[in-house]
Amino acid sequence: MLTQTLGWIAAVAVIAGVAVALGVAPREATQGNVQRIMYLHVPSVWVAYLAFVVTAVASAVYLRNRAAATDRLAHATTEVGVLFLGVNIATGSIWGKPTWGTWWAWDARLTSVSIVFILFLGALLLRRATEDPERAARSAAVLAIFGALNIYLVHQSVNWWRTLHQPPSLLKAGPAAMPGAILAPLLINFLALGLLAAYFVTRRVRVLAAEAEALA
Amino acid sequence: MADNWGYVLAAYALAALAFGGYWRRLARREHELRQIIAARGARRPQTPYAS
Repeated sequence: MLTQTLGWIAAVAVIAGVAVALGVAPREATQGNVQRIMYLHVPSVWVAYLAFVVTAVASAVYLRNRAAATDRLAHATTEVGVLFLGVNIATGSIWGKPTWGTWWAWDARLTSVSIVFILFLGALLLRRATEDPERAARSAAVLAIFGALNIYLVHQSVNWWRTLHQPPSLLKAGPAAMPGAILAPLLINFLALGLLAAYFVTRRVRVLAAEAEALA
Repeated sequence: MADNWGYVLAAYALAALAFGGYWRRLARREHELRQIIAARGARRPQTPYAS
């Protein structure tokens, strides 16, 4: 019941977020309307980062307590994080074509974020490929912790190297280099996608518990 | 710069497909598992004397 309510709230929030992004937010002066992809591209990576941080914490706790519930949370957040990071990479590519003139470039930000994507995807594949569930959970936990540490590298990539990708506008020291009319829709969409991710995680945890019950 | 609405719609459509597909996959799996668990429950004897 609680999951269903969360699902409805997330659905309404996502619809509102899309309406704000496509209809209410102002047309950006330099890029034009194509900049509206940002309201999907940026919040999806923030949500993916949050999911992976939860994965790393749950994985560390699992390595200490070996509780199945903690592993289920790590598994669910990994899957949801990969989904949101996949959306981030794909929408970034679509945004890159009209603005940079290319779908893809081996630039530090794009490459480092792809490494994180592959590491967490690897953690999911490892779970499938390993027969012993406890060993699978242990290996996935170690890989997820390593993957989460790489998020710092992704964040710093635009500061440490000269990249095609722009430097951070918000997650940096000093005042935000973004007007309120653009910042507000961005935060609304972050909240909406965050609720959607929370709904997916809750539901995936329930499915994983049911899978364990069916296999017992 | 041209507005490129096609790219905007493509990005949002792709995200809708990804999220919608994942939601559908979860719903389907949950339904399957519910049926498996219910079938197993139905096969189990209700009392120690039922079998």
